[in-house]
Amino acid sequence: MLTAVVTYGSNGPEVLLSASEGEEGLSEYTYADCSIIPEGKDPSEKIESLGKCDPGPSPIMPEAKELYWGAGAFILFALLMRFFLYPRLRRSMDARYDSIRGAHAEADQARSEAEAEVAVYEAALSEVKAEAASRIDAARATLEQERSAQLAEANARISSARDAAAAEAAAAHEAIRGDIGSAAATVAARTVELATGRAPDAGAVSAAVEGSMTSGATR
Amino acid sequence: MFALEFPPINEILRWSDVFPSFNKVAIISVLAAVIASVIFLIAGNADGSKAPKGVRNLAEAIVEFIENQIVMPTMGRDGLGWTPFLLSLFSFIYLCNVPGIIPVIQMPATARMALPLFLSLLVWVVFIGVGFKHQGLGYLKNSLFPPGVPGPLYILVTPIEFISTFLVRPFSLTVRLFANMLAGHILLVTFALLTKELVQGGNIALVPVGILPFFMLVFLTAFEVLVAFLQAYIFTILAAVYIGGAAHPEH
Amino acid sequence: MEAFTILAQEADKAAAAASSAGFAYGLAAIGPGIGIGYLVGKSVEAMARQPEAAGMVRTTMFLGIAFTEALALIGFVVFILIGL
Repeated sequence: MLTAVVTYGSNGPEVLLSASEGEEGLSEYTYADCSIIPEGKDPSEKIESLGKCDPGPSPIMPEAKELYWGAGAFILFALLMRFFLYPRLRRSMDARYDSIRGAHAEADQARSEAEAEVAVYEAALSEVKAEAASRIDAARATLEQERSAQLAEANARISSARDAAAAEAAAAHEAIRGDIGSAAATVAARTVELATGRAPDAGAVSAAVEGSMTSGATR
Repeated sequence: MFALEFPPINEILRWSDVFPSFNKVAIISVLAAVIASVIFLIAGNADGSKAPKGVRNLAEAIVEFIENQIVMPTMGRDGLGWTPFLLSLFSFIYLCNVPGIIPVIQMPATARMALPLFLSLLVWVVFIGVGFKHQGLGYLKNSLFPPGVPGPLYILVTPIEFISTFLVRPFSLTVRLFANMLAGHILLVTFALLTKELVQGGNIALVPVGILPFFMLVFLTAFEVLVAFLQAYIFTILAAVYIGGAAHPEH
Repeated sequence: MEAFTILAQEADKAAAAASSAGFAYGLAAIGPGIGIGYLVGKSVEAMARQPEAAGMVRTTMFLGIAFTEALALIGFVVFILIGL
């Protein structure tokens, strides 16, 4: 008697035809018909159904061997990292960062020192400049003073000369005036003598001449 | 037109054991830990007093990335003590993701459930432990009965908070990493198979068309580089957020 | 004869499972798709308005993407579970 057993496996529906005792098996499958030939099996070996094939691992279920190999590897790696690899790397990184920071600080210090020196130099420079300026000012003041003194002297000389000349001129003027006055008085006295026959008083004539000359000069 | 037989998902994840109970995924995860250790070992041995270069530069860049991009925005200065843990989490996940696009290997170790499950359970245990350590039993009170909620609403809020904090967090961490990497793996397989079928399918007219899925394959490989980094980053930053949140209750 | 009927029913079930898996993933992708688009768009807007806050916005954006994307990925897992 022939019995058909239909099973549903991962490779689709499978039919297992089995014969009763005494009858020859009717299966035509061999391992070569499987999509994956199970390990250690002869491909030409006959199998009852495709259900005997290696279905491969389930895509969802975790496999124990992968779980413990992976877990062991990770745990060892994480411990190594925690206690050995990372602290070493971190230490040398920190050391380098510290040295870089130290170098930065040194550079800053050197720069501030240089800046202080520059400040000192600039202070000295400005001091020297101020001194030079004061000296120049002093020299200029002396020069100015001398020049004004010479100018004053020259002015004084000129004005005294001018005064002398003016006095001389005034004296000459006065002398001429006196001469003119006496001449005019003589003329006037002679004229009066001729007109009246009598010599006038010399004092009165000269006073009259003097008065008319003064009024004429002022007129 | 042509028949493309896509293998069942089981088949593209199946790797024969190298020796009993040690398969390709186990190799990748062990190698990831070894490579990361070697990188940081070389970096630690290198002369640290000069400007870093080569491996040391890489290691320092990773450390500063973790500190400035992950720890500082989520935990602040107090969280800097968590840097080694987050650093190993990030480098391990990244090095487990990246084999998904390395030719010949072509299998992200995180596309299997085991690793993401273990890592997110570890993060779960760590953040709950940190919560109890920093707040004692007040941690349960703060996380299950958030302050500032009117009394009767606790009937609604408490179960939601319990589910979202203690159940959904590890579940979503696991599923996010696992499903992203598995989806990327399946995409790469799909386009590789499509290219192969078109080029070697026997129909001469279809051979030039095969260039299209091939370009898609190249593009997706480049995309997977980004995804590998992004998933490692997101897993790590979420771990940091959870740990930081447990250490300092929200006010 | 009966065996073939069972076989046909199983095949139907497999086809139904495959198509419902596709539906499940398609439906699960709608919400997160809209959500991530909105989220990233708003983040770009925020970064454009305040470039100095770009780092903080980016971190928060990645967190938001991670939470939103989880829904789509759960859909993907359901797809695998149904499709098996």
